[in-house]
Amino acid sequence: MPTFYSSLVPFVVHRGPLLPNYISRRCMTSSPDNEGGHNFKPIFTILKKMKEKEREVRILMLGLDNAGKTTILKKFNGEDINTISPTLGFNIKTLEHQGLKMNIWDVGGQKSLRSYWRNYFESTDGLVWVVDSADCRRFEDCRQELAVLLQEEKLTGATLLVFANKQDLPGALRATDIREALNLDNIKMHHWCILECSAVTGNNLLEGIDWMLGDISSRLFTVE
Amino acid sequence: RSPNVSDPHCFVLPTLAPLVSCPLDVCYLCSPKDNVFGIEFTRFKIRDLDTGTILFEITKPPHGNVPCDKWPNESTAGRFVRYQFTPAFLRLRTVGATVEFSVGSKPVPAFRMIERHYFGDQLLKSFDFDFGFCIPNSRNSVEQVYEFPALSDSLVEEMIARPYLTRSDSFYFANGVLVMHNKAEYAYNGGQ
Repeated sequence: MPTFYSSLVPFVVHRGPLLPNYISRRCMTSSPDNEGGHNFKPIFTILKKMKEKEREVRILMLGLDNAGKTTILKKFNGEDINTISPTLGFNIKTLEHQGLKMNIWDVGGQKSLRSYWRNYFESTDGLVWVVDSADCRRFEDCRQELAVLLQEEKLTGATLLVFANKQDLPGALRATDIREALNLDNIKMHHWCILECSAVTGNNLLEGIDWMLGDISSRLFTVE
Repeated sequence: RSPNVSDPHCFVLPTLAPLVSCPLDVCYLCSPKDNVFGIEFTRFKIRDLDTGTILFEITKPPHGNVPCDKWPNESTAGRFVRYQFTPAFLRLRTVGATVEFSVGSKPVPAFRMIERHYFGDQLLKSFDFDFGFCIPNSRNSVEQVYEFPALSDSLVEEMIARPYLTRSDSFYFANGVLVMHNKAEYAYNGGQ
């Protein structure tokens, strides 16, 4: 690493989740400890972001099939959600929100597609993990897939938002139950947050995305 | 087969595309045979985000050879489309442009699109987007939400008065090799 970069290192290592007050009431968060120094992006990634005039973030949305990823994406974008079929590849949206250019990648969650997820990890700033809160039979599958993802080196440091989706369904479990089922309290290497939401009503979608962008911004764009 | 990089006709680097300073009247920079990954566009949609209205949608681009005397020796099948919009189209503020495409049985490494829109020789808008990896046999969609470029009144009038002088070149690269080159022409005198 060229020596002139080294003066930036203290800024880069510093992290602090800046949670808006309104969200801390509904949202369970964890601050990772900074020991080991694994929980930040490689320095060249950050330097690249700082150089860019346009602030751009990459969000990757994953989860088991039928969790509601595409419905969340479409609802968030004000699109019709009545004709959604299983995603057999990816859906990308590029949009501006909070002065940031967001690239959101929604990749299909069917078992046959999960081995391809790794092709989309590179440069991910935020991971949205979508859970069907009413599908408790698959919580264990869901926990395992998430645990595998969180060990991926390329996702190290990415902010994690867990959407406990389908709260409009009568059998939906609450965020506290899902937090336990997915073992979220064991996560040490990521800033994380779980939020109850409904892609059908749109409840909490904006709150979740705003929390995620706030956390990403505080990590990536504070040195200005 | 792999794209034949020794053929100068198909060897176009992504870095060169932004240097293309005017619509390519002369030719296509690659042949339909270069689409070795079987990438096929299946839907094109434009919506107005201010009202949520879908302004335009085609589910499969025309596959016939559009008669076009500009490129008498080139096959335009599936590579050339003409769109006719109403003048109101040029007054939109925020639009979402969606394309859907399918991919053949081979995975596509590092898929990238560079699209250049012109009126005459004047560049109106340029897109450069990295799709990255595409899953074999997948169906994918991309929506770009963007602010429509602010056009002067005189330019708008001219664009309405001179149909199909607004044009675009779309270059698609896989691993840095040009695999598709599509063209479109636009008129804004519809409904008149």
